[in-house]
Amino acid sequence: MIWEVFRQEKAGNYHTHCGNVHAPDREMATQFAAIQHGRRKPTNSLWVVPKEEIGEIDTEDVAFGGTTDKSYRWATAYNTSGKDAREVVESEDEQATAERQRGDD
Amino acid sequence: MAALDPGKLDARERNALETLLKRLADDEFVLAERYTEWQVRAPTLESDLALANNAQDELGHARLWYDVLEDLGFEEQALIYERDPADFRHATLVERPFEEGDWADAVLRSYLYDAAEKLRLEALEDSAYPKIADRVGKIRSEEEYHLEHAQNWVERLADGDEGHERLQDALDRLFPYALTLFEPVDPDVEDDIVELGLRDATLEELGEEWLSIVVPSLESLDLEPPVSAQVDDDTFEITEDMLPEERGRDGGHTDAWFDLHDELTHTYRDLGRSETTKIMDKPE
Repeated sequence: MIWEVFRQEKAGNYHTHCGNVHAPDREMATQFAAIQHGRRKPTNSLWVVPKEEIGEIDTEDVAFGGTTDKSYRWATAYNTSGKDAREVVESEDEQATAERQRGDD
Repeated sequence: MAALDPGKLDARERNALETLLKRLADDEFVLAERYTEWQVRAPTLESDLALANNAQDELGHARLWYDVLEDLGFEEQALIYERDPADFRHATLVERPFEEGDWADAVLRSYLYDAAEKLRLEALEDSAYPKIADRVGKIRSEEEYHLEHAQNWVERLADGDEGHERLQDALDRLFPYALTLFEPVDPDVEDDIVELGLRDATLEELGEEWLSIVVPSLESLDLEPPVSAQVDDDTFEITEDMLPEERGRDGGHTDAWFDLHDELTHTYRDLGRSETTKIMDKPE
């Protein structure tokens, strides 16, 4: 049985996928993961998840974000005054970064 | 109990300390040597890595104990590569070769050893020799993983017919040797170890406690030790007739140890070395 392993480096961080282990059950999976994925890199916590329990949907199944122009969804499509709340500015920055990563520009 | 001052040890204290440390260091060192034989041969990649990790841990622990022996003027090469193999004080459990390809042997041996190691380390936590007490903490946290790992495997193997049979065979072979973990190097010196407060439990106490944990636990998996150590419901005892001829602690070893020692010192001799290679300075 394959268990996907997710590592969290520091408390509060996200657990990110880092590989997998073969193990007959959850207990052994956590033990093996501790050695295989928690020994060399800084680790605060590991999750093990049965591979078969993971649901997946990919670009063959769905057009992520839709196929028509929905740029109105992005805060960056609106004019701002430059005197907006810090949260709005930060949110704009985040979305601008996300857009670049999506390759939408 | 007053802490012993490393700079002012009398002959009795030195002897007790040397004896205790050689028991500890040699057990860990020789067990690690045997574990590494499984490298790239364990049943799965994961089990291979887990045992290799445990072997690495045990070597690290051996190094911590050998390093304390250096307080008494010993040098690493004299302790490991140049010592007469008959002067090693490990229990014969750790020197026995594995039955070829028998993972149950490795797993059961690890269980028997790590259960004893846990008790022994607990008894060293307040050692009168400060360096011993200091090092026990970090060793214990790694040993916890070893014991859990071994327990998990024993339970899972015991659950299947073939696994159960292999475990029982391994138990029949290994149990008498496991009892040597609690044998004295020299009974008088062993008394000194406890009287000086280096360790706060006697070998008899440790052995009886170990039996009272290991025997019921194995029996709950339908595994029977080849000899009964049970006196009554919750009293256990190691008696002379249960022990194998070679007990390790007293310098009596099985031929397998002399072969292993020859192998592990081969390169050192072959290259004409007179000192060990050091990757790290002092072990931490």
